[in-house]
Amino acid sequence: MDPLVVALVLVGLVALATVIGLVVRGREGRVREVHDFRRVIPAELDTPEHFGISATLVQFSTEMCAKCPATRELLSKTALEHAGVRHIDVDVTHRPDIANSFNIMQTPTTLVLDSSGAIAARIGGAPRPDALIQALNIAQRKEHDLYVI
Amino acid sequence: MTSTSSNAQSSNSQSSSPLAAKPGQPGIDPRGPRFGATITVVLLAIDVFLGLTGVSTTSGTTLAQRATDPAFILLVILTLIFAWGAFAGIQRHPYGAIFKRFIRPNLSAPSELEDPKPPTFAQLIGFIVTGVGVVLALVGVPYGLVVAAAFAFVAAFLNSVFAYCLGCQIYVLLVRAGILGRKAA
Repeated sequence: MDPLVVALVLVGLVALATVIGLVVRGREGRVREVHDFRRVIPAELDTPEHFGISATLVQFSTEMCAKCPATRELLSKTALEHAGVRHIDVDVTHRPDIANSFNIMQTPTTLVLDSSGAIAARIGGAPRPDALIQALNIAQRKEHDLYVI
Repeated sequence: MTSTSSNAQSSNSQSSSPLAAKPGQPGIDPRGPRFGATITVVLLAIDVFLGLTGVSTTSGTTLAQRATDPAFILLVILTLIFAWGAFAGIQRHPYGAIFKRFIRPNLSAPSELEDPKPPTFAQLIGFIVTGVGVVLALVGVPYGLVVAAAFAFVAAFLNSVFAYCLGCQIYVLLVRAGILGRKAA
C-alpha cells in the first residue's frame, strides 16, 4: 500500500480518536434538561427508599463502573447539604429492565427528580459539581407543577 | 421482584456499599491502567501500520503467509497481553509492573484510588476485539486485522489521553442486551 495512504490512515485514526474524546469530554457530566415530564415512583427503581421532599438524585450504577463510587460520594454529600434532597443509588447490573426503562447508555447516569417525582434533568457521566447545582435549581423551579397527569 | 431483594440503597448509609472495591482488595492507582493504555496505543498504531503494509489487506494469501505476517504476530502478542490483564486481573498486568517499578516512584501519591474491576473488564473487551482481529487475519479476511486493531487503538487512545474507559462504558450496554449481569437463578 502507498506509504502516503498508510500515513494518512494513521493520522486519521488519531484525529478520529481525538474528536471522539473531545466530544465525550464536552458532554460528560453536564445537565440536560428533560421535558417529557415522566413521573417516577420508587417501585420503578425497586427501592424501599422515599423520594426527597424537594428533589431526588437518582444515580444509576453498575458493578463495572470506574466513576460510580466518586459520583456516589458527591451526590450523597450534595443531598446532605440540601434540605429535602435525597440520593438514591440504583445498581442496574442485574436489572436490565430498569436500565432499559430509563434508557441508561452509560454509568453513572443521574436523574434529578422534582418534588413530584417528575424527571427534571439528566446528567450522563460523573456530574460536574456546578452541573449538579444547576440541575437541582431546575428541579426546584417547580415548573413541573404546570402539567397535569 | 420481591421487596427483600432490593438493589437500591440510600446514600445515608455510607458503609457496606456493594459497588465499592471489596474489603481487603484495595483500590489501584488510576494512572497505572492509563500508562498501560499508552503503551497499547503505540503498539496498536505500529500494528495498524504493519497491517496496511503487509499481506493482511489482500485476499488469496496462504495460511503460512498470514500466520507469519508481522502484523499478525504483533496482534497475537497484544491479544495475549489483554488476556493476561483480563483473566489475571489488572493488578497483575505486566504494564502495571513496569508502572510500579519505574513510573510510580517518580509521581506524587494518587489523589484517589480506583476499583480494579472496571479496567479489568476493559481488558476483556480489548481481548475480544483483538482476538476477533486475530481470527479474521488467520481466516484471511482482507482488512479484518486492520479494522480490529483500529477499533482497539481508538479505545486505548481514549483511555490514555482522555481517561475515558470505553470498555467500561460498554458494560451497561451489554447488561441491557441481556449478555451480562443476568441473575444466575
